[in-house]
Amino acid sequence: MDSRAFVQNMFREYYAKDFSLGEDFPSIEKREFGFASFGGWMLRHKSFKTAEELEFFLQDSVPYGAYFSCAYYEDPEADMNKKGWLGADLIFDVDADHIPTSCNKIHDEWVCGSCGFAGRGIEPEKCPSCSSEKIEVNSWPCEVCIETAKVEIIKLVDFLVDDFGFSEKEIRLFFSGHRGYHVYVQTKSVEPLDAIARKEITDYICGRGLRFSSFGLDGKVLATKKGAFKVLADLGWRRRIVRGIKDAILNADEQKLASFGFSNADTRAILENKEKILIELEKSDKAGLIKGIGPERWEKIVNLSVSLQSAKIDTVVTTDVHRLIRLDNSLHGKTGFKKVEIPMSAIEDFDPFKSAVAFTKGEVTVLVSSAPAFKLDDETFGPYKNQKIELPTAAAVLLVCKGRAEVIG
Amino acid sequence: MQRTFSAFAKNDYAKYPFLKAAIKHIQTLDLKIQDLIDPDNASILERAQQRLEEAILDSIVSLDLKHVDIEIVSFPVAVMLAIATKDSFIKKRYALAEANRAYEELLLEPREKIIQLAENFEWKIAATHDSGLPYEFTVSFVDYLRNTTHLRETQWKLVNRMLKTGTVYLRMDDVTRLLKEEVRRHIEQRLDTEELPVLPAKMIEIAEKMKKLVEETIGKTEREGFPRTVTQTAFPPCIQSLYQAFSTGKHLSHIGRFTLTAFLASIGMPTESIIDLFKSFSDYSERMTRYQVEHIAGEKGSRTRYVPPKCETLKTHGVCVNPDELCQRIYHPLTYYRRKLQR
Repeated sequence: MDSRAFVQNMFREYYAKDFSLGEDFPSIEKREFGFASFGGWMLRHKSFKTAEELEFFLQDSVPYGAYFSCAYYEDPEADMNKKGWLGADLIFDVDADHIPTSCNKIHDEWVCGSCGFAGRGIEPEKCPSCSSEKIEVNSWPCEVCIETAKVEIIKLVDFLVDDFGFSEKEIRLFFSGHRGYHVYVQTKSVEPLDAIARKEITDYICGRGLRFSSFGLDGKVLATKKGAFKVLADLGWRRRIVRGIKDAILNADEQKLASFGFSNADTRAILENKEKILIELEKSDKAGLIKGIGPERWEKIVNLSVSLQSAKIDTVVTTDVHRLIRLDNSLHGKTGFKKVEIPMSAIEDFDPFKSAVAFTKGEVTVLVSSAPAFKLDDETFGPYKNQKIELPTAAAVLLVCKGRAEVIG
Repeated sequence: MQRTFSAFAKNDYAKYPFLKAAIKHIQTLDLKIQDLIDPDNASILERAQQRLEEAILDSIVSLDLKHVDIEIVSFPVAVMLAIATKDSFIKKRYALAEANRAYEELLLEPREKIIQLAENFEWKIAATHDSGLPYEFTVSFVDYLRNTTHLRETQWKLVNRMLKTGTVYLRMDDVTRLLKEEVRRHIEQRLDTEELPVLPAKMIEIAEKMKKLVEETIGKTEREGFPRTVTQTAFPPCIQSLYQAFSTGKHLSHIGRFTLTAFLASIGMPTESIIDLFKSFSDYSERMTRYQVEHIAGEKGSRTRYVPPKCETLKTHGVCVNPDELCQRIYHPLTYYRRKLQR
């Protein structure tokens, strides 16, 4: 059987038997829907009156990817500028593609579209062989990548609850089905926010444009004024900066500080004054000026804190008020995983390689060209290199979707 | 001290004629448009005209509390005159001038009155009594963002504010500044219409007079517009870099493409020349490119001509590169271009 037909069949079965939109899908009739086909074309500006209508369409068309708009429209099927924008959910995307990870993406393969030169890991900007910039990446949804993204999501949720005051009911978390997470904030108050207001929200969450002096925490003040941490209440970013310094300093050792880009001299000064800095943060009366930590070093410490505390979100997604985003519970064409909702309380323990598995029955024999070791539904597979093997359907679908295996027989 | 439930007084209507309560008050007067040319009401029309003149010439409207009734009624009449000019410069300037006037008055108001005024615009606002904090109000971050997103100073960025569970802690002078923005936007929205009742000839005449006044007193550059020729040497560094990358067929991000296209269209590069640029691109499709460029240039679709994002947005998305000395003093790539051309 041809591999594409195999995946398509599996997707067809999923949409016929297992798919359901879920009950919590507000105003379906005001959303725009878009679909990518297995053939590579894109259908946009669709709309559905009911969840059943949509479910029927999915069964019938079996898309490679299904998307819906964060926006609500008067007429979702009209041309872009005639849709009549009514508002949009506030959405966030955290994708491992945009975050440095400790696995260094060694599992990703890339190939130059011009000369065919290939390699592994983070793709180069230019082909080392022919300097072309047409680099195609075959990424892999690795555990480390997805865990790293999860840390960012937890930070993001902390911003949304503590700083922005959204209730847990208004915030919904999803695993995207590939290498990241989506967050929807669904509540009336955010719907009218325009792109610029949403940009301010992303800048807040990324700590971009932050001026230390707004919080009385510029290097000069910290180096010359006694008890600088005591004078203001810990609100907003001020609270986060203080928390971030504490985290960084408590765990600081030579190696860590070096990895944050501190020079040897900086590292020595910070480690020698570790206790004093912590006392300073505690706002105790013993706080005083710290010899050896001048304005520049303080600024470096605060900078580090900001970068540790900020959440690495994809700014483009949040600021786009017309954005199409993958449909809840639909299948991701690059993995065969489904996009699943994660209860807020379960995020810490969430395991996508279990919860997002869509196919739980049967085995398929495939010829694997290459694949790193991976875990699926508590079972470990691989690594594989040019071998024929019988795998559970979900594992086979993943490898075929990733272009790393072909179905045999 | 005023109590929080007290209604606004007539003096307040004169100072803030855009308030819902003021509009209600005016409705009770049952004044018809035709009545405005009645010689008995001449002073209303005169004052309305004056409001516009003051706006055009001084960017601020004066306040006359000796003739409170005229002061109140002349506001909606001036609004009608501004709409009748169908001139976007006059509309903008008038909204700003009324907001400037309201701001001067707001600065003198006690805390309770400020809250009432904010609540007129449905703000979620409260007085805060947290001891040890130098703030007097909390305002919902949504109300805050709506009124700060085009204030340029970094102090207005949300990231530099004390934000807690959805509310921003603010001082009195912050709140008055935000209210001024709310008033300006509110009046701009009222002016953003083409619909008008049939106006007496005399009013049309005044509207025409105002347009003349603008032509005579306001410089051409202020009324906007770029020369037709494209001067590449005046491009800001970000655009220069996008332009070079693009014309050598390098890949650009979506926002990079949009910024470049919107910039070139805004400074008057013909659509055909922009499409030519795209031809060097490897995934060039004439049909798609034409569609996108024509939409951004406002020739198709909604006819909105898109402008490139401001500097801050470009920084957010990593499009801002090698900012130079002039960049430090501007907030928008188009301003950079305009300034450079003037040199």
